[in-house]
Amino acid sequence: MSNGAKYVWTALLLAVAVHLSLIFAAPYVLMGKAMERIGVDGTNMWHVADRVTAESRRIVRPAPDFAYSACVFDLSDGPIRLRVAPWDSYWSLSLYADNSDNFFVIDDREVEYDAEIVLTRGAQEAPENVTAVASPSTRGIALIRRLAPDPGRYAAAAAAARGDVCAPLTAD
Amino acid sequence: MLKKAAAWAAAVIIGLALGVASVWAALSFGGAGAMEQYGLWRHNSLAGSTAADPYTRTVIAIKGLLALSVREARYLDLSRDEEGRPLDESCIYELSSPPLPARWWSVTLYGRDEYLVRNNDNAYSIDASRTLTSANGGWRARISPVRGETANWISSRNAGTGFSLTLRLYNPHQPFDVTAEELPTLAIVSCTGEAS
Repeated sequence: MSNGAKYVWTALLLAVAVHLSLIFAAPYVLMGKAMERIGVDGTNMWHVADRVTAESRRIVRPAPDFAYSACVFDLSDGPIRLRVAPWDSYWSLSLYADNSDNFFVIDDREVEYDAEIVLTRGAQEAPENVTAVASPSTRGIALIRRLAPDPGRYAAAAAAARGDVCAPLTAD
Repeated sequence: MLKKAAAWAAAVIIGLALGVASVWAALSFGGAGAMEQYGLWRHNSLAGSTAADPYTRTVIAIKGLLALSVREARYLDLSRDEEGRPLDESCIYELSSPPLPARWWSVTLYGRDEYLVRNNDNAYSIDASRTLTSANGGWRARISPVRGETANWISSRNAGTGFSLTLRLYNPHQPFDVTAEELPTLAIVSCTGEAS
């Protein structure tokens, strides 16, 4: 190998390494930042977001027609119980892994009244009478969207959200 | 010796720069994210999916973190007019839409920075529950910096140039096999001055 070639190869190999690590790391880094911002008051508890306006800058491209509640879940000390209190319009509960994948979603068409699931990780066991969902990561984000396109509906959704649960299963 | 060190340093710097630049290029111009095109709307059917490739996942994490998977919602983005120019506050646009294939829909305007635009118009979006529709469920909406006499308005005031629209289709009809004609179309009504 000539003298020059070894510098060119070094530059190219480094470029490939940087390229791949940035592409693979970016979703984890961005989810990490989102979890940091949402979970600033603690994990395994709902944070009811203010009505979405131009000042809402925690998550990109927020929808102003929804009332959002978010919970950073952490399964390192055991399963988590999630409950969505009833809402009379569209709502959904979606779960995101630490790489940003939406690994679970349930909405108002699929349940009669309220929704309750137990989130587990690895060998953790959920009680038999509940819907258990296995999380692909120890930490992640649970998100509830309630359709609430005007201030009156937002206030009603925020009130309904007080009945939501995101807490360790053993804390009941 | 010094010369050799400088050459190594240059190789490292060039390598790092190339790595960063290639990521930017792949995300900006590459097929990153397997985009499907419906008229002027761009759609990524792998958004939020556990089957997403690393490039798609990264694009979605940047552009739409916490997006729902396609079973629950479809997100379509529009950022250029029919002549390929970025959307601009100095133009007035009209969206015309047939009834949309979903249980609920909305169209929201986002600034270049991916957030809602700071203005006091309280007209960030229109949605199925508030939009005046014709008898068959079709509708028209105006995108302009001032409301004028339109019934359905999305404000572009302070949006500058390079803003974009997101069409959300919640509980989309299955299977989702729409054509561009079944989605809203964007037309330029007028532009003031020359967009720089």
